[in-house]
Amino acid sequence: MRIRCQMIQNHGLAGSYKTFWVRTQPNSPRPRVFSLFAYKTKVLLCSSRSALLTVCRSMASSSSLSAVSERRGIPGASFVEDVQSYLTQLGLDVNSALAFLQERLQQYKLVEMKLLAQQRDLQAKIPDIEKCLDIVATLQDKKGAGEALIADFEVSEGIYSRARIEECDYVCLWLGANVMLEYPCEEAVALLQNNLENARASLEVLVGDLQFLRDQVTITQVTIARVYNWDVHQRRSRQAAAAIKES
Amino acid sequence: MQQGGGSETEVTWEDQQNINKFGRLNNRFHELEDEIRIAKETNENLEDASNELILTDEEVVRFQIGEVFTHMSKEEVESKIEQMQEVTSKNLEKLEEEKDSMLAQMAELKKILYGKFKDSINLEED
Repeated sequence: MRIRCQMIQNHGLAGSYKTFWVRTQPNSPRPRVFSLFAYKTKVLLCSSRSALLTVCRSMASSSSLSAVSERRGIPGASFVEDVQSYLTQLGLDVNSALAFLQERLQQYKLVEMKLLAQQRDLQAKIPDIEKCLDIVATLQDKKGAGEALIADFEVSEGIYSRARIEECDYVCLWLGANVMLEYPCEEAVALLQNNLENARASLEVLVGDLQFLRDQVTITQVTIARVYNWDVHQRRSRQAAAAIKES
Repeated sequence: MQQGGGSETEVTWEDQQNINKFGRLNNRFHELEDEIRIAKETNENLEDASNELILTDEEVVRFQIGEVFTHMSKEEVESKIEQMQEVTSKNLEKLEEEKDSMLAQMAELKKILYGKFKDSINLEED
């Protein structure tokens, strides 16, 4: 059984391990102190229960106090009110903070590429389904007219042949995975409409995800810029202070 | 975004949300431009097709549906092309409207953000 830990404070000690105050959620309010070796995933034993607590390294570096929303597996970027307090909260110096933020940015970019590829696939699928619906509709129209439909179709690249499609009540639909099923026309239309609706709905959700992701990327970029600027500002004021001292 | 020269202006949550919104609008704007271009091309193609149809003297025309070319009479093809033209021009109108409203919103946000950050922010196309 896994219980997630929420880190509330982090004291750095000399040497290779850090001590964390950990509060287990949600029922036991008393903080327990565990020693961890930093940079390794460690399994901790809870003293009063036989549950295993797993604390990951990624949790060690995330600031858990800000309310960070997550969407379908994409971690949210926490907005930084004040650079100074952000850095002290993380307990990192400027360079490691910048490195951490850059890493986050790379991860976001990877997810963005994946989502864009999915979006492209869906955007190609939707016109295909619409074309299928068109054809079935044409066949249904011809049914009333009483004459056969003559069509030229592609046998191979550049080679076409003529087909005569008599009145029919059934169409075969390709369902994927080498499976093709025969449906009466109305059911086929219903199935294709259903697929079209699902594809459009997934596309909308995907677009929403992409927007969320882009917001997080923007927030992270702005945070990087602010941390960098803060650092430049600090250096300048230190230099100015040193110059005044000397003179 | 270009980095400012160590300016003092703090970024509030509201500013961040404005920046996010601007980014979102900008992305959607580029997508809209592509969609408008495609819709205009489709419109032109349909125009050319209907012109060719008037010029041709064949009675049976092959009209493409999906991947097959069905044989249809000229009138049927004419009415089909007209239908498609209606759909694409309505779509184009909708897209143009969306683009205009988007440009207006982006101009507003630019004013607000440049007002607060002046040189520290760059919202132009590179």
